[in-house]
Amino acid sequence: MRPRWVAVILAVAAVVILTPGFYFSRRHVRFMSGNESAGLNCMPCHLYLQQGGLLSRLGERDYLSPLHLAVSPDGTRLYVTAEEADALLVVDATEGTVLRRIAVGRQPHSVALHPNGGTAYVSNRWSNSVSVVDLASGAVVDALNVGAGPAGLAATPDGASLYVANAMSDDISIVDLARGQERRRLSAGRSPQSVGLTPDGESAFITSRYTNGVPHRTTPITEVTVVSAGTERVSRRALLRSAHDIEGIDFTPAGDLAVVTLVRPKNLLPATQVGRGWMLTFGIGVIEPGPGGRVVQLLLDEVNAFFADPFDVVIGAQGRHAFVTHSGADVVSVIDLDAVRELIEATPAERLADFADHLGLSARYVVTRIPTGANPKGLALSPDGRRLYVAERLEDRIAVIDTEALEVVGTIELGGPSPNRIRRGARLFHRADHTFQGQFSCRSCHPEGHHDALTYDLEPDGLGLNVVNNLSLRGLAYTAPYKWTGKNASLYRQCGFRFAKWLTRTEPYTLDELYSLVAYILSLSHGPNRYRPASGELTAAQERGKTLFERERTSEGRPIPSENRCITCHPPPRFTNFQLADVGSGGPLDTQGEFDTPHLDNLYGQAPYLHDGRAATLEEIWTKFGGDDRHGVVNDLTKAQLNDLIEYLKTLGGEPADEERSGR
Amino acid sequence: MRRLRGPIGPVLLAAAVSFSGTRELGAQEPDQGSVPVYHDWRTFTVADGLPSDKAMAVRVDGDRVWVGTDHGLAVYEEGRWRSYGIEDGLAHDVVLSIDVHPETGDVWIGTLGGLNRWSAGRWETFDQLNSGLANDVVYGVAAEGDYVWAATAAGASRFNVRTGEWTIFDEKNTAMHEPWTYGVHAAGGMVYIAAWGGGVLEYEVAAARWRDYRDPDGEMEIDLFPHDGLVHDVTTSVSYEGGVLWAATYFGLSRYDGARWRGYFDHDSPLASNFINFVRARGPVAWICTDQGLNAFDGNTWVTYQRDSLGAGAMEIQHGDASVRRRSATAIAHNYVLGVDFQDETVWVATAQGVSRGVAFWESVNLVGR
Repeated sequence: MRPRWVAVILAVAAVVILTPGFYFSRRHVRFMSGNESAGLNCMPCHLYLQQGGLLSRLGERDYLSPLHLAVSPDGTRLYVTAEEADALLVVDATEGTVLRRIAVGRQPHSVALHPNGGTAYVSNRWSNSVSVVDLASGAVVDALNVGAGPAGLAATPDGASLYVANAMSDDISIVDLARGQERRRLSAGRSPQSVGLTPDGESAFITSRYTNGVPHRTTPITEVTVVSAGTERVSRRALLRSAHDIEGIDFTPAGDLAVVTLVRPKNLLPATQVGRGWMLTFGIGVIEPGPGGRVVQLLLDEVNAFFADPFDVVIGAQGRHAFVTHSGADVVSVIDLDAVRELIEATPAERLADFADHLGLSARYVVTRIPTGANPKGLALSPDGRRLYVAERLEDRIAVIDTEALEVVGTIELGGPSPNRIRRGARLFHRADHTFQGQFSCRSCHPEGHHDALTYDLEPDGLGLNVVNNLSLRGLAYTAPYKWTGKNASLYRQCGFRFAKWLTRTEPYTLDELYSLVAYILSLSHGPNRYRPASGELTAAQERGKTLFERERTSEGRPIPSENRCITCHPPPRFTNFQLADVGSGGPLDTQGEFDTPHLDNLYGQAPYLHDGRAATLEEIWTKFGGDDRHGVVNDLTKAQLNDLIEYLKTLGGEPADEERSGR
Repeated sequence: MRRLRGPIGPVLLAAAVSFSGTRELGAQEPDQGSVPVYHDWRTFTVADGLPSDKAMAVRVDGDRVWVGTDHGLAVYEEGRWRSYGIEDGLAHDVVLSIDVHPETGDVWIGTLGGLNRWSAGRWETFDQLNSGLANDVVYGVAAEGDYVWAATAAGASRFNVRTGEWTIFDEKNTAMHEPWTYGVHAAGGMVYIAAWGGGVLEYEVAAARWRDYRDPDGEMEIDLFPHDGLVHDVTTSVSYEGGVLWAATYFGLSRYDGARWRGYFDHDSPLASNFINFVRARGPVAWICTDQGLNAFDGNTWVTYQRDSLGAGAMEIQHGDASVRRRSATAIAHNYVLGVDFQDETVWVATAQGVSRGVAFWESVNLVGR
């Protein structure tokens, strides 16, 4: 056969095969993604979605993600928690080099030094422990059992005790450092994050991320918990109204003020207010530490520019300036504290509350904004106060700021690899420049890819209708469709062009950005489930609950219709059947009764519940809102059986927890 | 004749003194073998700032005193009362029981509408709809270690404050044959539950082991054989201290030292009444709150406090067959007593018509042999 004929045959075959192939491929992509015009190709689903698959693993890189840091008493060393490397990095602050990488627990969060400078304590969020590191040898010499999800921590000036904020168990551990054992566990706010000690060591202040329990669709009230070092009891709960996500805290050297970072969500207003600067605002809380001291909220935003996601705060050695990282705006705000004091003192008490929403004030106390690399997080001052170190989390880098010149004077590369697609997606997720005036990032409502425990009026369907409970983004792979209405067949649709139209109000992500963002979201994991032991052996109560979850007959022996069984709509392994269902949970403000059946991964950490967040607890799903037996047959259950069912539900999803350190 | 003297501050009567003839009992420092004696009372009512005169429970929390009434919760601090009601976060106006966690200082409040936690000003409500609490009627509450126990009208609930797990103990998984529980006391790794009609249940926390104590005579209202066990199965309150279990019933008082039971009744002892609302032990002394007055008793010496028809105080001390009666200008607020607790050497008493505070005195008391 002549070559020319071969070429013709191949060309005809290609046309015959590829044309319908292309046609069917496009149909497949459109059907699976729900996107009509996004131009998606095969790669997102068959590469990025396949977390843990061969191709995904080939693209994985070992990032460091510095989160918090501490400086040695002599100022020569930095100790940096590398969140994604499960390590504590020892850095030569003078030479700007990494001297040592010390393996600690999983997902290290914060580091605190013993006053003698010889020991570092590292909180490991996913290990529910605190690593005790001998800094001379670089050896981890102990692991302290604390509560679940330990985050911020601080050693007392006498070196006798360590305060640990347990973000997942909502409590505070006080550890006796001489004995290496937890001495006391105190109730904190919800998801405590950071610990600040007053300069005299008399009190510990602990910030909280989520609102305290408040009635449905009322403003959040989030607390800073104050523990008296003398009694080791909670002495005060300073409340910040209409605020949440209180992360960092620091005190003036004189101890007259504490400064915390905060977010003010306008979740009770419809999202149509974005154009007016009314979605989220960002600022600080100024707390007078004494009993009954004032709590004043001040915004760091400007009328037409927002500085999203304040994360950490450090007050300079002279007490003149406070430095705040904005992890969603990639800047450090410098605040003149004397100006703040003057403002507060000159204002009648009844008008101080007005400052919380005043976008025009920040010019009076924000001295400057210092640009940083991507996702600035933890801050630490050198002992002489002349250098401020900033953990640039998504750069794997430390920025060095001159606190007099108020500019970055150097950076310290920690040695992370170049960004892959997931890393690029992480930067997009955490940066607010894809929203109007930089009003918020994805992270603003989904800190650490989780939720913010709030409900929102997001839909452009009229004020007050179809309020939705903001869900966690962790563990979303293979749980499509998305949204409570199930309208979005894929995250590409969820985060695509329409998203920009009705929420972010600015240019949509490019296709490449969308690939990266979705790849990052799909990489998010809940981490270990503290109710799920590694042995797989359930407690007696959990076993009884499992039986109830899977039952086909009522306690009286009557058959339960298939559609009213738990297991029908929530089958393993994802505990969702990916279908819409009307289980009678619709309310008077809902325009439809059918909602997407949610997966149940790590359910215990995601209150409130139901599509509109009406159920404050798991119990309320059935006691208050499940009386007609449509959301599972429950009316035949005793209270003890309902308790068993809930104990089982808590075990679903996530990785098994290390039994030795379950965070209990 | 014997002569008793009370010391300044704590007024204490030596109780473990053997007696023959007439003899003086000297003033004593507080020790494990003493029964406190008070006869100088100050009463607080609505006029002083309480939300209601009917005080259902009292609990001391360091410098604070918490009082549960039928119309809200009150706290006495720095010489004045402050009230809390439903508008503040209280689950129900009627407060039946209060306990303070010894380590955290969190105040746990049992009401007719659920269980509250008050923690440095923050209120949380746990009820049968939003939590695993067995029932909203919380007659008794006790907090120790990782657990808070609630005695409810539908069994006892245990809440693990670290994990959030609720466990219900009722007739299905304990020896309790009725699910009504009226009182709970937790101390030293042991939990005792007064189960109405079910005697006393004992739970050893470390071993997760239950044991029950029942009236050998069943539910007979008389004690057929003295000292053979619990005097009655209808228990209302229980307290455990120093290895001694005290059980209150509506038909008398029981004391169990781990080896022997003793029963006490109003017809054969100075017990003010068989109808006992509450009992709390402090050291070797049990304080017994009845519908006819207040008793203190350490197994040997009784002290009875009552209010006479003129509003004066009537106190009787009895040791063996010797006794002394005294009158005083002040008295407990009412003879219907519902709760008692101690603030250092001061006693606080919840009654149907106010809260009384007993303070120290100094004088000699003569015991006269019968």
